[in-house]
Amino acid sequence: MEAWILSLVTFFPVVGAMLLLFIRKEREAAIRWAALMTAVVTFLLSLLMLSGFDSSDPDLQMVVRLPWFSIGDLQIEYFLGVDGLSILLVLLTTFLTVLSIISTWTAIVERVREFMIFFLLLETGMVGVFLGMDLFLFYVFWEFTLVPMYFLIGVWGGERRMYAAIKFFLYTMAGSIFMLLAIIWLGLEGGTFSVPDLIEAQAIPGNLQFWLFLAFAAAFAIKVPMWPLHSWLPDAHVEAPTAGSVILAGVLLKMGTYGFLRFNLGLFPEASIRLAPWVALFAVIGIIYGAAVAYAQKDVKKLVAYSSVSHLGFVMLGLFALNIQGLQGGIVQMINHGLSTGALFLIVGMLYERRHTRDMDAFGGLWRVMPIYAGLTLIVVLSSMGLPGLNGFVGEFTILIGSFGSEAIGSVWFTIVAVVGVILAAVYMLYMFQKLFLGPLDNDKNKVLLDINRREIFTLVPIVILIFWIGLYPRPFFGLTEASVAKVVELVSSAAITMR
Amino acid sequence: MSSSDLLSVAPVLIISVWAILLLLLDLFIKNKGLTASLAAAGVAAALVVVIVRFGSDQVAFSGMIVADTFSDFLQIVILITALLGIAVAYDYLRRMNMERGEYYTLMLFTVAGMLLMSLAGDLILIFLAIELLSVPLYVLSGFARPEKGSEEAAMKYFILGAFSSAFLVYGIALIFGSTGTTNMAGVAASIAGNHANLTLLTIAIPMLLVGLGFKVAAVPFHMWTPDVYQGAPSAAVAFMSVGAKVAGFAALLRIFVSALPELSQTWGPVVVAISAATMIWGNVAAIAQSNIKRMLAYSSIAHAGYILMALAAAADPSVSEEAVSAALFYLFAYLFSNLGAWTVVLALERSEGRGLLIEDYAGLGRRRPALALAMAIFMLSLIGVPPTVGLIGKFLLFRVTIDAGLTGLAIVGVVTSLISAYFYLGVVIKMYMGTGEPESRSEGWLNRSAGLTALVTFLLGVLPGPILILARSSGFLTP
Amino acid sequence: MVPLSWYLILAAALFAVGIFGVLARRNAIAILMGIELMLNAVNLNLLAFWRYLWSDNLTGVVFVIMVLAVAAAEVAVGLALIISIYRRRSTVVAEEIDLLKW
Repeated sequence: MEAWILSLVTFFPVVGAMLLLFIRKEREAAIRWAALMTAVVTFLLSLLMLSGFDSSDPDLQMVVRLPWFSIGDLQIEYFLGVDGLSILLVLLTTFLTVLSIISTWTAIVERVREFMIFFLLLETGMVGVFLGMDLFLFYVFWEFTLVPMYFLIGVWGGERRMYAAIKFFLYTMAGSIFMLLAIIWLGLEGGTFSVPDLIEAQAIPGNLQFWLFLAFAAAFAIKVPMWPLHSWLPDAHVEAPTAGSVILAGVLLKMGTYGFLRFNLGLFPEASIRLAPWVALFAVIGIIYGAAVAYAQKDVKKLVAYSSVSHLGFVMLGLFALNIQGLQGGIVQMINHGLSTGALFLIVGMLYERRHTRDMDAFGGLWRVMPIYAGLTLIVVLSSMGLPGLNGFVGEFTILIGSFGSEAIGSVWFTIVAVVGVILAAVYMLYMFQKLFLGPLDNDKNKVLLDINRREIFTLVPIVILIFWIGLYPRPFFGLTEASVAKVVELVSSAAITMR
Repeated sequence: MSSSDLLSVAPVLIISVWAILLLLLDLFIKNKGLTASLAAAGVAAALVVVIVRFGSDQVAFSGMIVADTFSDFLQIVILITALLGIAVAYDYLRRMNMERGEYYTLMLFTVAGMLLMSLAGDLILIFLAIELLSVPLYVLSGFARPEKGSEEAAMKYFILGAFSSAFLVYGIALIFGSTGTTNMAGVAASIAGNHANLTLLTIAIPMLLVGLGFKVAAVPFHMWTPDVYQGAPSAAVAFMSVGAKVAGFAALLRIFVSALPELSQTWGPVVVAISAATMIWGNVAAIAQSNIKRMLAYSSIAHAGYILMALAAAADPSVSEEAVSAALFYLFAYLFSNLGAWTVVLALERSEGRGLLIEDYAGLGRRRPALALAMAIFMLSLIGVPPTVGLIGKFLLFRVTIDAGLTGLAIVGVVTSLISAYFYLGVVIKMYMGTGEPESRSEGWLNRSAGLTALVTFLLGVLPGPILILARSSGFLTP
Repeated sequence: MVPLSWYLILAAALFAVGIFGVLARRNAIAILMGIELMLNAVNLNLLAFWRYLWSDNLTGVVFVIMVLAVAAAEVAVGLALIISIYRRRSTVVAEEIDLLKW
């Protein structure tokens, strides 16, 4: 199993996408089922990967490492591997893809086959980003995710889809081109593109680390997105179809935080320590800014989009606390955000499918007509605002502990402001819930709304289960990440010692 | 001269003899499809010869001809371009009512010139080859006469082409005056031995850059490109946008890397400046275009700038071999991405220049999904997005540029790539997200060419290994 | 004897006149003549270099013959193009040939 499982998880969706080409495009039901089955099998494969994962081993596991091609003396490898930093994200990706495909059942009626093909290609790209351990291979996957996402937004999106699609593409590419240069530079200096080898060598002098850190950070910060580079996100989210938004918020944004975690911390520990207060500063500004702007939105989808900016600020704060609690909290919060925000986008999508509007003023009192929907939404909303007993609390609390005790970011004020962010999250989330579900049911169009059907319940329930699971018994999730996180922290702290 | 000397120029011989024969045969051929097939057969024969003799370095005709792996690689690129050029021209000429057999003969002559260019070991031969390839191209540009645009394109191309070769030959004359030889190895030896007059050489270098800069369409010598590309028959443009560029770079690399390496301090910075200007201006000007032929013209200017990065890097002797092979690989990649894009343009063009606006591509994604997919692949490859060969090509170029210490130039390269994403994606947006009913007939050879080029563009993006090895072994210029 | 530099200066002047002709004249025939002038400047250069510096081999002279031959071929094609345009539009003035943006 060792050798082939990661390749299979990565490329099985491509195989499925190929098969879709052979189904006549009129047979939409068959196409949907085939795509769903592909996603399910991929998810099962990723569970198989989990079963073979040894959480006590901090290093890469199930490694496959083959020469791909060489440029001059530089060998570029087909190098996949999984460790505690990435395994949860891979699972999240395969999990959300299944749910997203189910959510498109009635929402996507045009060009179903192309949609599914792009969606499955996107899954391959995302999984590849988390598993690719050769810098060039990573870059290929990283850039490749742009292409299907660009089409998903541009073809199946809303009114301003063309604008949103190209903005998404250009913004993301703007960051990654500098990362490409930094990758080339690292390859030339280090003689290899292999990430673990480069991390092992730690051969980059401090002053150069600064620039390389910035080049990588350009790519990742745009993707996260960190304030002030977030302006593509609301556009992309609002215009994207529901499934696209779910994946965008649930997984694509995590590629940015994952990038910081894997590459910036590992390759440039000195620069990470130096710049940690700055990153924390921007993260905290993002937390407050995202929350404030979210509160001002009338469009539910935009509200959720801005809440992502706020939540991802927490993740960044946790990562750059540079201690075990911060990092672990950050990773778990990535998963939490993927689950709860993914679910929120699904919820908004269900409403939009029924009413074709997302304006909060058009709703009110929905609790009475859609009780199941309202109940599930409440759980997700509470999870998103960090109620104890649900997953959001676990992540945010761990992050706050980490940042509070962090030497690297140097000041407890960051933590204090972040706590204010938690309160603000409660404000805008409850505000949204109240606008939609409470109050009088005064709009006639809302009176005839049907509650969600079994298929829709089925897309939300697995997420809700995980919300409770992580909230009540987070031990297994922390356990998976622990060893690898400890290794990163050790690396960073030994760099801190040499700096002094 | 010996018989092995003849073998070294066998491809050129085959092509030129075949061109003359075909000119006569064509008089008796009614079905011009046969002429096209015969021309293609000649090119294929030459291609086989090149592949068979690949890897055997040979200096022939007392240094006039240098047949090394560098020239073999370029000859392969040129001959593949020619084959595709014939394939796309056949359907196009028929549809546009200009099916005349001379087209293929003229093409063969210019191919002979291009081949000779890559084989030249002597500056005189470079000059002759440039004329041999240019003169038939002038005529091909005017091939759609009596269409006014085509005639005008031919005229402009001719005037600026002749003008630029005058610069080139003036530069060569100065090199002769300085070193007493036109043989490139001799020039290099003379400079290395301090026998050369450096003042004259310093004047000669800009002259050469002007002359060859025109051929490869480098800023500020690019003005002819959009006009000629717009006016000339698209099939001819498809062919020459790759062929002429390959030949131009063959000469640039050969002259500067193998004859003037000692003066790299002089020409290196100039090439850096030209390269940066070309990338910036080509990509920025392309944004404003509404006609796809003009857009692709500016795109071809921009790509000349990217390849010039390799020449700039080659000024550093320690990376020059890597730089040359990066340029070779990029040319190979560019052949498929660019010629493929032109093939799609050919498929959509209708009589009297209709169907050439980017607007006209709206709805292609529904109407002709396969063709639109191919176009999308070409556009992505020209931007440099995985999984296409464009990324690998740019990666190689940036690598040698950074290796040579020209980080600033590499930054210009990536930033302009970002700019280029805007207008290339503009086409993709129109195809998939716009609404419209583009008219296009499905024609066998155009479809096959588009499919083949798209497939290669994609496959080389995933498995570039073999061509990389080939390019790597071809990076060394026989002195 | 006249020194080499005089020839070179004369050739450079001729070349410059040729450039001026190409850039400033509007008549296509005159532009063609400008190009001819440039090529002849090159020939002058080559002959001067050959005679003064490198008369031990024939490269210079052979090159001149090549340039002459090529110039003839270019002019043939150029004139053909000009005639073809003239037939349809009755003008050879470059500025009036303006369908395409210059």
